[in-house]
Amino acid sequence: MRNVWIVFKTLVKDWLRSPTGVFFSFLFPVLLLLIFGTLFGGTENTRYALYIQNLDVDESGNQTNLSTAFIEAIKSTECFDIKPLDKDVNISAFVKNQQTIETLRFLVIPDGFEEKAINKTVVVRMGIIVDTLVYVINNYSQYMNASDIANITMGKEMLSAYLNQTNATSPEVLLIADEHAQSTQIIKGIIYSVSNGFNNQLTGASDIVIPKSEDLQQRRWRAADYYLPGYIAAFIMTNGIIGMTTTVTEYKRNGIVKRLSATPLSKRDWILGCILQQTFLGFALTLLMIGFSWAIFGVRAIPDLYAVSLIFIGCVLFSSIGMTLGGFVKDIEAANGIGNAIGFPLMFLSGAFWPVEVMPSYMQTIAKGSPVYYFHQGLREIMIYSEPANATISFVVLTVLAVIFTLLAIKITRWKDL
Amino acid sequence: MNTVIEVKDLVKEYGKSRAVDRISFDVKSGEIFTLVGPNGAGKTTTVEILECLRKPTSGRVTILGYEIAKDEAKIKKRIGVVPQEFNAFERLTVLENVKLIADIYGRKGELKSYLELLDLWDVRNKKFKILSGGMKRRVGICMAAVSEPEILFLDEPTTGLDPEARRETWGVIKKLKETGKTVFLTTHYMEEAEKLSDRVAVIVKGKIVAMGAVKEMIEKHGGGYRVFTKVGGKEVEAIFKKYTDSIIKVDGGLCGKFLGKRDAAKVALDLYSRDIEAEIVEPGMEEVFLSLVGRKINERGEFE
Repeated sequence: MRNVWIVFKTLVKDWLRSPTGVFFSFLFPVLLLLIFGTLFGGTENTRYALYIQNLDVDESGNQTNLSTAFIEAIKSTECFDIKPLDKDVNISAFVKNQQTIETLRFLVIPDGFEEKAINKTVVVRMGIIVDTLVYVINNYSQYMNASDIANITMGKEMLSAYLNQTNATSPEVLLIADEHAQSTQIIKGIIYSVSNGFNNQLTGASDIVIPKSEDLQQRRWRAADYYLPGYIAAFIMTNGIIGMTTTVTEYKRNGIVKRLSATPLSKRDWILGCILQQTFLGFALTLLMIGFSWAIFGVRAIPDLYAVSLIFIGCVLFSSIGMTLGGFVKDIEAANGIGNAIGFPLMFLSGAFWPVEVMPSYMQTIAKGSPVYYFHQGLREIMIYSEPANATISFVVLTVLAVIFTLLAIKITRWKDL
Repeated sequence: MNTVIEVKDLVKEYGKSRAVDRISFDVKSGEIFTLVGPNGAGKTTTVEILECLRKPTSGRVTILGYEIAKDEAKIKKRIGVVPQEFNAFERLTVLENVKLIADIYGRKGELKSYLELLDLWDVRNKKFKILSGGMKRRVGICMAAVSEPEILFLDEPTTGLDPEARRETWGVIKKLKETGKTVFLTTHYMEEAEKLSDRVAVIVKGKIVAMGAVKEMIEKHGGGYRVFTKVGGKEVEAIFKKYTDSIIKVDGGLCGKFLGKRDAAKVALDLYSRDIEAEIVEPGMEEVFLSLVGRKINERGEFE
């Protein structure tokens, strides 16, 4: 073990004095963390730009009360950056002058919006009264005298006759947006939701099913917390596989391995020293990522002893895979290529950046065969759900693989005939 | 003197190619033994087998009484190695690199004496990567010597160095010999072999073609002393003929061969007395190699 420690100290010192090594080991993953963290668990609510053209104005040119109320209802969702569009603007011409249409969205409130809305409201309310009277006659006539029943029936027939003569149409607000843009479906949903609420208000109907929401922060975790274990697992994996493969190939190429192999240092001690150094880097990287995530995304997931143990096993596993690859790769270009060819697919297929459930089923099978999947799933169970017992499979899979690949690295690495 | 290295019928094959072909030799304690030959002769393969870095195909090798096939760990504790194209951790300082090897050997105590012996004390805190080629080789030798080995293996320690750095390295190797160490050297520089070695083995195409003490080798295969003149003509030829019949024309001048230094000096004086410039060339390892192999080796270690 003394020699393992000597190798470890030397490699850490050598690595710390390599600016490019530090950059790619630490800063590169942190940059990616910031990018992915912002994409998938950002710090701000998304607001969509929305042009509103209100054509419903009175004779003086003022917007009608109901159309104004509708716009206020949309504003109150806080989902939009609303930009009023003058009623004289031709939307088709306006669109032609824009470079991109993906983020262009228009909501047109038609002329006569208020009038149609009031008429429709009256009709709807009268319809409700007719339905109520029918219900009363059908279900409660045995409790009433004949004259009351006759009066109610007459009133119902008068209202029905009026409804049959009336041709009230609903005012239609028009959403103009790129149907291919992902955001359009979301915006449609929001507008429909606002319209429903507005309709209920007009007809005096009270909400029966009430959707409630709760800020995820109240349940302690934010999206960035959820993704952090995935980022940690993915970057420990890339550092281990890509970093280790290229580093040991470089040491082999420049003669350092041969120099050391001529000393009493054993191959086993060299490999264990390399793995220990990579494990140290893995922990340092984890600390840095948690620090950044805490400072920028406000994450609260802090690794406990179980998580630290799993991170240790993960570091050993992916370093030993890197050592195994470095054992038979001869030149640095091949090492880079093979490291990237294995590391990147593993990273993106593992579900570290997005749930595996969104992948096609055959991809899910592949993803679930990746050690990175077990790594981040285990970390998530421990760090997010505080269920270390659920990480048992992860512990077992990673430990078995770590032992296998460490033994394989010792077997494959050449210490003679270099 | 004790025998510290014993090699008997050593063979190393790479596929169908035989790099080392049944060579045998031994090395005595405290001597500088040099394996000299062109590139591809089998020098590095041989020395790396002795360093336990390669497995021989057949043959028997013992180092300090241990068989390389059985006692690799024991051998490695008692030898120091400077591999061909030596490198160290580039971002570590000279002192850190030397200490690394000292630590691996479990050697306690100060390192100053070793660094001073190799003139590296003043640059001990400089990073390895910024050193000159000569200094890097000295660091390599220091790393090999710091474990206080009984045998030092130096594989082409001066290849690629400028003449000044090469001479500095020779000085270092001589100092190490003075401390009682056995040095096993490989080189393609005949001058290096001649200046440093007690004994030399000439290796060509995996076979040792001659072996012995440097002086004996030169006497036996060096072809005697030669006297060169820049001018020819009957007068000069007549002077040469007074002392030798072995005369050849060289670049418009003449060259006479003499077995003894005395005869060479006499003819040179005779020529000078007639205002004819003459140069005496002593035989050396280059002549030995030429005589044994029939070809010369250039600066890069290839046959001319």
